[in-house]
This record gives sequence, C-alpha cells and structure tokens, in this order.
Amino acid sequence: MAMPTDIGVIDTHMGIPPRDKVEAYGFFRDMLHDEGSKDMTFPAEYMFKDYPTYEGETDMVAFVLRNMDEVGVARSMINIRRHDTDPNIARAHQDHSDRFFYCWSFSPHEGTPGIAAMKEAKQRFDIKAAICFPCGLNPQVGISDALMYPWYAACCELDIAVCINAGVPGPRLPLWPQKVELIDSVMYDFPDLRFVTRHGCEPWTALAVKLMLKWPNLYYSTSAFAPKYYPADIVDYANTRGGDKIIYAGYFPDGLSLQRIFRELPGVPFRDHVWPLFLRDNAASVFQLD
Amino acid sequence: MPMPEGLPILDTYMSVPTRGAKHLRYLFMHKHLRDDGSKEMAFPAEYMFKDHPQWDPDSPDFDPVSFVVESMDRNGVAQTILMADPERPDFGDTKRAFDQHPDRFFLGSANFDPNDVMGTTAKIERHVRDHGVKLIQFFPSGTSPQVPIDDPKMYAVYAKCVEVGVPVAVCAGVPGPRLPMDAQHVELIDRVMYDFPNLVFITRHGCEPWEDLMVKLMLKWPNLYYSTSAFAPKHYPKAIVDYANTRGADKIIYAGYFPDGLSLDRIFTDMPGVPFRDHVWPKFLHENARRVLDIAAP
Repeated sequence: MAMPTDIGVIDTHMGIPPRDKVEAYGFFRDMLHDEGSKDMTFPAEYMFKDYPTYEGETDMVAFVLRNMDEVGVARSMINIRRHDTDPNIARAHQDHSDRFFYCWSFSPHEGTPGIAAMKEAKQRFDIKAAICFPCGLNPQVGISDALMYPWYAACCELDIAVCINAGVPGPRLPLWPQKVELIDSVMYDFPDLRFVTRHGCEPWTALAVKLMLKWPNLYYSTSAFAPKYYPADIVDYANTRGGDKIIYAGYFPDGLSLQRIFRELPGVPFRDHVWPLFLRDNAASVFQLD
Repeated sequence: MPMPEGLPILDTYMSVPTRGAKHLRYLFMHKHLRDDGSKEMAFPAEYMFKDHPQWDPDSPDFDPVSFVVESMDRNGVAQTILMADPERPDFGDTKRAFDQHPDRFFLGSANFDPNDVMGTTAKIERHVRDHGVKLIQFFPSGTSPQVPIDDPKMYAVYAKCVEVGVPVAVCAGVPGPRLPMDAQHVELIDRVMYDFPNLVFITRHGCEPWEDLMVKLMLKWPNLYYSTSAFAPKHYPKAIVDYANTRGADKIIYAGYFPDGLSLDRIFTDMPGVPFRDHVWPKFLHENARRVLDIAAP
C-alpha cells in the first residue's frame, strides 16, 4: 500500500506560470456574474485554502523544474498554445523537452481554421493531447455539442488524446456543459477517441466509473483535486477493475502546490499494483510517451 | 424569357441505372420504412410521380451507359454529375461512363452513413484524393438511424469537407419516401452555415414546404445554394423561381432526377415552361454549377 518513491512521476496537468495570473483567466471572466468572483485572482480560489504564488521568481521555467525535482516528477504536460507569445513556454520547449510534453488548448469556436492550427501544432510540437474547458467557453459548449465533434474527429486523425473538464466547475459558471452523462454519446460516436476527464467529475463520480467500465478508451485524471479529496468511487475503482484507468494530474501552479499534493498522496489508499500505474504508466500509455 | 437553345447544360444529379431490378437501388431505406405500401414500390417515392424511368436490366441489348448518354444527347445535356460510390462493387458501369466520356461525366459521391463518423471522414478524404469528386451528398432522413442536418456527427463531416475543399449536397425538406421528416427541416441549415462560414452547401430535393425560409437563408448565407433535383420543372416552387429572377440568379442550380423518378425527356419537355428571365437561364442550366463545382465547359 505504500506509495513508491523515485519512479519518475508523470504529471499530466502542469503550467508555466503566466506573467499575469489575473489576465490568464480573463478568457472567461466576462461570463462571471457574481461580484465575488470578480475580486478573485483565480476564479476557483474559494475552493482552496491557499494557492501557489510566485512573486519574486525570476525564471519561471526553473521555478517549475525545481518544484518538479523536489517531489520527484520526472515529466509533465504543459499547454504549448502560448509558445509564440510567451518566451517562457518557448524556452521550456527549446531547452527542456526531456522534462515536458505538450498539449494544445482549443475553443471549438475557433472553427475549421483552429483545427488546421492544431494539426500544424502536431507537426511542430508533437502534441500528445488537445484540452478544453467546456464551461469556460463563451458561449458555453457542451461536451457532446456539435461544435465539439470536429475536434474529436481531428484528435482521432492525429492519434492524440483529448482532455476535457467534467463535473461541476469551480468558477461560478453554469454546470450544464460538463455533465458527465454527456460523455456517453461521444464515446459511442468516436470509439477510437482516447478521452481523459479533468477536474474531478463531481458529483457524478459513480457515473464516471460506470462509463469507464463501459468505454475502453475513457480515462479519469485527478487534476484540480488535492489527494485527500480524491473521490472514494475513483480510488475504489482504481483498486478493483480500474487500475489502468486513473491517471495522476496535479494542479500546479493554478490551485495546488506540488508540495501539498505530494505531502498528501501517500495517504491515498491505493493498492501496491495501482501506484505505478496511477503515477506514471497509465499516462505513458494514454498519451503515447516514449 | 424563352429557354435558349444550344447551352452546354450541366445536370448536377444523375446516376447510371443499376443492373438488376430497380428496387434494389433503394434497399438501404427498407430497414426503416414501416408501411407495407412503400416496400412494394420499385422506388420508395414513386407515389409522387406519374411514371418513372424504366429499364429492362435483363435485356441482352441493355447498356446502362448508352441509356444515359442517349438520354442526354436527345435533350441537349452536355455534361452531368453522376452520383455513385466508387468503393461499391457495382461501380463498374459508372466507371465505364467516365472512361468512355471523360469530358462529359464528373463524380458526385453518395452512399455515406455519418453514423460512422470517422469512417465517413476517412472515406471523404479518399474520394477527394483518389477520385476527384465534385460534391459529397447526404440524405439525412434516409440513413439509419437518421442523422439530422445539424447533428454533431455531421459537424465532424462538414469540417472535413471544408478541410479538403469539397461542397456538400444535402437533401432538405419533407422526404418523398415515407420516413420522418425532422432530420431534413430547412431551419436546421441556418446554424450549420453560421458555424461553417466556408462550407459550400447545396440543397437537394426541393426544401418543400419551407422554400420561403430557404430563400431567406440563401439571401443571408453566401455559400448556400439550391438545386432542383427530384422536381419536374412544372413543379419548381414559385418562391425559388421568383428568387432566381430577382436577387438569386447565382443561387439556383439545375439538377434532374434521372433515372430515379424523372426521365430527361419529361424534364426538358417541361423546362421551357419555367418563367425564368433571359439572364437566369444560362446561370441556372450550367454557369452556377460550373462556378460552384469547378467544372469547365466542354
């Protein structure tokens, strides 16, 4: 039951801190109606006791690598979308491709030119996944909405995974686009699509487990959740039939420090054989890492 | 106003008669036709037509290619889009038409089932790459299960058509075969044109009874067109003819329905009676199709 150390953890949700955290969440700030959210630096911060800050850090790439090193994260997936506008992302890619692999954030409102750009990103950066936050789109777009389908089709063609936020969103936005039940018809229509949920699937974790049992290419990643809050349904499933289905993802530097995550992780009651699958092997397989 | 003679007419909807009995062409619909009457028809929309073209596939003299070419020659049709699936085993006669008359025939690709999303997008890529198809056709009410014009599965398909640069031709309006109509409501087109501003979308089979809405949508969306397939010219909707004569001369495209429901002889007997204005005739009979489908005059 003990969590192994030094196995080279893969973290499938990592970020290089943006220069302006307020601006980084600006893409959906216009849709927030409540006054409280507008005062938050990070629109889900009410859910977290504290969240990482990086004032005074001069080298954001070194800052992230130092944090990864401290807790034993060998590789992590970052969003390469800002490559051409954020020198830190370009530098991470240029100098540290042994430590980082890449995903591409999309809005289905980008339409067919956006799909062409993602296909180009596959050539440039060997992206391993497309990522999307359905509740954060303006206007919102449901997981099974028609606008999403061309992107799922493109992921199948590129043979990359898609990572989609599912469950009630933290930011104070309507939840309907991320209902877990919407995943069912997507998996039916795209049997070859590798679909990885992000951000917890709560409160529909039992349904997420049913769907993972039903659909071979559906996976769950633990992003945005401190390990002490991993849903019991998910841990139980990992320990029984779902050892291959649950993938570690952190939430650094958005809402959780790696120190906090790795302080709590040993308390998760995974069985021995689950740990390396959860921390490394499932990610390597689903994201087709070398 | 009279229909001019000698134009290189381009028919955007034709096919080669199949070997074997005519009803075999329509078996794909039978799994969801519910009424007994439809299953006894040689052609599931035949109740709408006074007669429909017949051929004797068992006659030793029967040649499907000559049957088409003679019909075209008799009626002054210079070129046609032949609707077919080049991956089907019965493609041979259509292929022979192309081989024998490469300047007269072009391929329109039919026989897609968007219920298989990735199979459909891959097939579109193959057809464009390997066969140079001019358009990709869908029959939303005729697939099983039905796939509406604005269905998410169609969105993946439309995105592929934009990517490879091929127009779609989609049946719209109440279908003739006794199948539910919802999948082909004209209002579903609006959202598709909004989400795919670069998609070239041509309607098939009339858009009735929502032809007024179709005119509104053609005025609104630059890449939306109407083709007259499955309608005898005497039944072309008045709203469509009026639109062609006013702001829509570039939007209405001639398509026949041979050999399914109408002979070319019938179509071109009726045709001079359509009250198109002088400048509309050449656009309607070939120029619009040439521009939209990129087909040179012979």
